[in-house]
Amino acid sequence: MALAIGIILGCCALGAGICMGIGAVGPGIGEGNAVSKACEAIGRQPEAKGDVTSTMIMGCAIAETTGIYSLVVAILLIFVAPSTFIGILEKTVKTLSESGIKL
Amino acid sequence: MNIDKTVIKETKYVASFVLILSVLMQAIFLILSAFDIVKWDYTIPLGNLYGAALAIGNFFAMAFYVARAVSKEEKDAKQMVKASQSLRFVALLLLAAVGAMLPCFNVFTVVIPLVFPTIAAFLSQLRNKKK
Repeated sequence: MALAIGIILGCCALGAGICMGIGAVGPGIGEGNAVSKACEAIGRQPEAKGDVTSTMIMGCAIAETTGIYSLVVAILLIFVAPSTFIGILEKTVKTLSESGIKL
Repeated sequence: MNIDKTVIKETKYVASFVLILSVLMQAIFLILSAFDIVKWDYTIPLGNLYGAALAIGNFFAMAFYVARAVSKEEKDAKQMVKASQSLRFVALLLLAAVGAMLPCFNVFTVVIPLVFPTIAAFLSQLRNKKK
């Protein structure tokens, strides 16, 4: 039982780390590219700075979506999933022991 | 500290959307509690307040750094945005973890509002396309 709980906790932590690590790479690259292109656009047309900045801010918010999703999943994996999985495990072990199956 | 007018305008727009969506989320939680699916207590609105503040703060920080980066050279702007993104994500992860750990906040109501600015941005893009 202790080994199973250890595996669950380890897998949840590993999953959260991988999720956050991979999920945060995309927005960084995307936002960087968007801003560099906006700099180019403002350099060509300085009078359109307000419009370009406004569109870029909203574009960056959308580019950040995957990062925020991965953050939410990582938080849930760390704080919610372990207790849920351990609860399921305990329930299963209890049901099996009641029906006479030894683990 | 000089804040760009566009940043304030967009933050106000996103904040109003976060407020509307938060009210909608509270209504959904109330309906779910009426059917005994969720237990309604003070942790739900408190968590929602904390999550909404985090979401608006994150959007404001992003908009502030992006608007500042625009006035720099292309390469510097790229690096500045990448650095700000990394810092913001670390701060957001830590603050969201604090919100999830404290018993006075509901975990789900802390993390769900983090997605609200994205919905506001999607709707803003749709509105601009229609115009």
